[in-house]
Amino acid sequence: MPRPGQRVPPVRRHWFYILLSLAERDRHGSAIMRDVLELTDGALRLWPVTLYGTLDELHEQRLIRALDRAPAEAGDDSARKRWFHITAAGRRALAAEVARLEGTLQVATRRLARGSAS
Amino acid sequence: MSLTLRAFRLALRVLPADLRAAHGAEMEALLVDELARARRPIERVSVRLGAFADLARRVPYEHWRRRGRPTLQPRVNRMPSVFADLRFALRASTRQPAATALVIATLALAVAANTAVFALVDAVFFRSLPYPHASRLVDLNEQAPKWNLEFVGITYYDFDQWQKNSRVFEGMAVWDGSAVNISDGTTATRVDGQMVSYDMARVLGITPVLGRTFTKDEHALHGARVVMLGYGMWQSRFAGAHDVIGKTLRIDSRPFTIVGVLPANVTLTEPTGFWLPLQLDAANERGNYSYEGIARLKPGVTIAQARNDLLRVQAPIWRQFDSTHTVSPRIMPLRDRFVADYRTVGAALGAGVVLVLIIACADIAGAMLARSIFRRREMGIRVALGASGWRVTRQLLTEALVLAAAAGVIGTVVGRLGIGLLTSGISDIPPWLHLGIDARAIAFSVLIVAATALVFGLAPALQFRRQDLTGSLVGGTRTSGSLPERRMLNALVVLEIALAAVLLASGGLLVRAYANLRDVDPGFRPDGVASFRLSVPDAKYKDGRDKRRFYETLIARIGRIPGVAHAGAVTCAPFSCHWGSFYQAEGTAPASTNAEDPVVLTRIASSDYFAAMGIKLLHGRFFGPNEGTPDGPRPAVINDLLAKRLWPTVDDPVGRRFTFRGDTSARDWMTVVGVVKDARHYGLTQPMRPGMYMSLTSIDSAHTFDRFAVVAQTTGDAASLFPALRAAVHELDPELPLFGVTTMQAALAQSMASRRAIALWLASFAAIALTLAVGGIYAVLSYVVGRRRHEIGIRMALGAQRGQVLGLVVRQGLRLVAIGLLLGVPAAFLASRALASLLVGVSGSDPLTYVGVIVVLTATGVAAALIPARRAAGVEPKIALGEGS
Repeated sequence: MPRPGQRVPPVRRHWFYILLSLAERDRHGSAIMRDVLELTDGALRLWPVTLYGTLDELHEQRLIRALDRAPAEAGDDSARKRWFHITAAGRRALAAEVARLEGTLQVATRRLARGSAS
Repeated sequence: MSLTLRAFRLALRVLPADLRAAHGAEMEALLVDELARARRPIERVSVRLGAFADLARRVPYEHWRRRGRPTLQPRVNRMPSVFADLRFALRASTRQPAATALVIATLALAVAANTAVFALVDAVFFRSLPYPHASRLVDLNEQAPKWNLEFVGITYYDFDQWQKNSRVFEGMAVWDGSAVNISDGTTATRVDGQMVSYDMARVLGITPVLGRTFTKDEHALHGARVVMLGYGMWQSRFAGAHDVIGKTLRIDSRPFTIVGVLPANVTLTEPTGFWLPLQLDAANERGNYSYEGIARLKPGVTIAQARNDLLRVQAPIWRQFDSTHTVSPRIMPLRDRFVADYRTVGAALGAGVVLVLIIACADIAGAMLARSIFRRREMGIRVALGASGWRVTRQLLTEALVLAAAAGVIGTVVGRLGIGLLTSGISDIPPWLHLGIDARAIAFSVLIVAATALVFGLAPALQFRRQDLTGSLVGGTRTSGSLPERRMLNALVVLEIALAAVLLASGGLLVRAYANLRDVDPGFRPDGVASFRLSVPDAKYKDGRDKRRFYETLIARIGRIPGVAHAGAVTCAPFSCHWGSFYQAEGTAPASTNAEDPVVLTRIASSDYFAAMGIKLLHGRFFGPNEGTPDGPRPAVINDLLAKRLWPTVDDPVGRRFTFRGDTSARDWMTVVGVVKDARHYGLTQPMRPGMYMSLTSIDSAHTFDRFAVVAQTTGDAASLFPALRAAVHELDPELPLFGVTTMQAALAQSMASRRAIALWLASFAAIALTLAVGGIYAVLSYVVGRRRHEIGIRMALGAQRGQVLGLVVRQGLRLVAIGLLLGVPAAFLASRALASLLVGVSGSDPLTYVGVIVVLTATGVAAALIPARRAAGVEPKIALGEGS
C-alpha cells in the first residue's frame, strides 16, 4: 500500500496490464503483448502503436524504464530487442491500483451478496 | 519488404516524430512478428486491419498528449460535456434574469435591425432580377450631356437601326410605360402597364402562362388590337379564368383581343397590368426620345464590348443626322439602372446597422467581462477541480452562444416586422425587389449570432486563460481586475463611444439635411390644394380641340364647387412627369449643334392654374382668361432659369418673343407675358431645369396632349374636396377614371419620404448607439468604483471631500469619452463623405453637427458616470476599509 501523502498516478487498463506483466519479470515489447493477451484471456490485444505509445507514456511517467541491454538469459532472437523494467514508482502505482480494485471488489461482493439475499 | 510493411511504415509518419524515432522500428518489427505468427490468411487480414485501425485510433491522442496536457483519458467523450455546458449556461443565465434579459434585448435589437436592413441590402446589391440568366440583361438608353440629360430615352428609329445591325445581342426590345382606362361600360379603372416591342418576352426569357406573345405583324403600324394581360390583372379581373384568350377588353374606349397572360414575376420599373404592342413606323420616329430599351447579351459578351458594338452601329446615324454626336447610346447592367437610386441608401443603412451591431457586441463583451471578474472565484474552483482551460473557455462560449441564440430568434422575428417599417418609409421600391425573410436572411442572422457570441464570449474567456486562476482562490473575495482586463474594458468603452460618434454624426447630418429639405421652397403653396390626373382617350376625344374643350368645361365646373377658390389644369404637375423641348429667342440664331442647350421643361397650363398652386410671379402677369388662341397670339409664362438662358442680359424679359428651336415660321412665335419662380419640379433635392408654360387656350387640333393634372385650391381641408371632384368628372364622362388623387401636401411629403425614412432610421440607430454607449460607460465605471472602494475609503479616511471623490470618478469617465471622440470624430468626418449624395443643403463637415455630437456624448458620459460616482462618494470609509482587510 502507498504511504499517505505520496503521489501515485492513477492507472488505466493498458497501463495496469503492462505494469502487471513487467512486475513478473523484464520483457521486450512483443513479449509484453503476448503476456497481456494471455493475462486477459485474449480480451486485450495491444497493437503495435498502442503498445509502444503506452510504453512511451509509462516511461515518461517514470513507471518503467528501458534496459540498456537484454538480460543474459535472452535468446538470440529476443536479444536484439529493447527490454523494459518496472521502476519502484511503477510497482507503487500498480499496488495502489490493486488496492483500489480490492476495495471495489469487496464493496461489489458485499453488494452482490446483499442484493441476492433480499 | 512486403507491401503491408511499406504501407505501415508510410502510415507511421503521422505519428509524432519523437515517438516514431523511439519506437517506429519496434512497431514495424512487432507487426512483422504478428504476421509471421498468423497462419491462416484470414488471421493475417485481421492482423493487418487491427494494426492500421490501432494506428488511426491512437494518433490523435499521441499528438494531443504532446501538447503539454498529459491526461488520463485518451478519448474524451464530448457530447455529454456539451450538454453539461448547455445546462450550466442555462442555469447561469437564469440566475441573473435582469442582466440576462438586458443582454438578450440589446443583442436582439441589433440582430433585428441587421436582419431588416439585410433584406434591403441583399435585394439591392446581391439578388438577381427574376429572369433567367439575368446577368446578361442590360439597359439600353441614350444620353445627351449637351442637353443636360443623363437618360434621354431612345428614339424608335435608333432602336430599329441597333436591332438590325448590332452583333453582340441575343435580342433587343423597347418599352414605354403606359396607363390606360379599362372600362366595362359603366365604370372605368386606370391600369398601369407597358407598350412593348414584340420581342420583349423573348429578351426577358419569359413564356406566357396562357396563350402567346405578340407576333411581328401585330407590332407593325396599324397592326391588330391585341393585349397581353398581367398576371395580377388576370387574377383580379378574370379570377384566373382559363378561357380569357380570345375575349375582348375595352381599353381607352376601343376593343382589344386578349392573346396571352404574363407570368406573375414580370415587372419592369412599373407595375405590369398589361402589355400592348408598340405599333410604330421607325422612319417617322426620329425625334421622339420616349422609349426604354432592354437587351440580352450573347453569352460571354461584356458590357464594354456591347458598348463598342452600339457605337459602331450608331456611327451611320451620327453621320446622317447628328454630326456632333449630341445623342449617344448608353448601356449598363439592367440591375444597376433599377437599383441605382437605392445604393447609397442601402449602403448607409447597412453600414449603420453593422456599427450598431459592433457597439452592441462591445457593450455585451464589456458587461460579460466585468461580470466574469466577479466570477473569477467560481472559475478558479472549477479549474482547481480539474477543469482544463479549454473546458472553461468552452463553457463561457456556450453561455455566450445561449444568450446569442435567444437574441437571434427574437431579433429575426422582430426584424421581419422591421422590414415592413423600413419599406413603408422608402417610396417607390420596385415591385421585383423581393424584400422578406428567406433562407438567406436566416443564414445571415445565424452568422451574426455565431459571430457575436464568439466576440463577446471570447473576450472574457481569453482573460481567464491568460491568468492563473488558482491565484483567485487565495485572493478570497477580492475581485480586483488585472491591468490587461482594465485595458480591455476601457478599450471596449472607447470603441463604443467612437462608433456612437460616427453614428450620431451621420444621423445628425441626415436629420439636418432632411430639416433643410423641409425648408426648401417648392415654388408653390401646397396648402389646401387637391389634385388628380385624367387621361382622355383619342377614341372619344378626336383631337386637341376636343380635349381642350373637355378640360375647359371640367375646370369651370370644379371652379363652381363650393369652397373651391381656384381651379386649373397643367400637363405636368410638380414631382410627376417631364416633357422637354428646345427653344430660341427672337433675334438669335438657333443654338449651334455643338453648344450646350439644356432641355426646357414644357407644360401647358390653364389660366387659373398659377393662382390655384400659388406659384410666385417675378415679372409681368399670368395668363388672362381665354388669353391666346391656336392661331395666335401665343402667350407664354417662363421661369427665371429660361429667362436667363434666352436673354442673359435682360432683367425683365416680358414682351420678348421666342419660338421652338429652328422653327421661325411666323405662326409659332410665343410672347413672354410673365416670369415665375417655379423652384422645384423634379423633387426637392433635384435641381430645376429651365421651364415654360403655354396657355391651354392656344392648343390646336394638332396637339396630342391627352393627360392633365387638375388642381383645385380651397381654404379648407384639401382632402374633403375629393368626392366633389370625382362627381364633377363622372357627370362629364362616366368612363373616365381619376387617378393620382392626392393633396399637394401629401405629394410634397411623399417626395421627401425616402429622405425622411433614411434620416429617421439612421437617427434611431444613433439613438440606440448612444443608449448602448451610456450603458457601457455606466457598467465600466460601476465596476471600477466597485473595485476601488477600498482605495476610496482610504482617501476619504485621509480627508478627501465628497466632491473630490465625485470628480475622480467622473474624470475617469470623461477621459474615456475624450479618447473615444478623438477617434470617432475623424471617422465620422470620413463617413460623411460617403453620405455626400444624401446630404443636400448641409456640408459633410457641418460644424454644428460635430459640436452637437461632442456635447451630447460628453454630457451623456458625465451622466453615466455620475451614478457610480455618487455611489463612490457615499462610501463609508470604515466599512470600505473593513471589507478590504
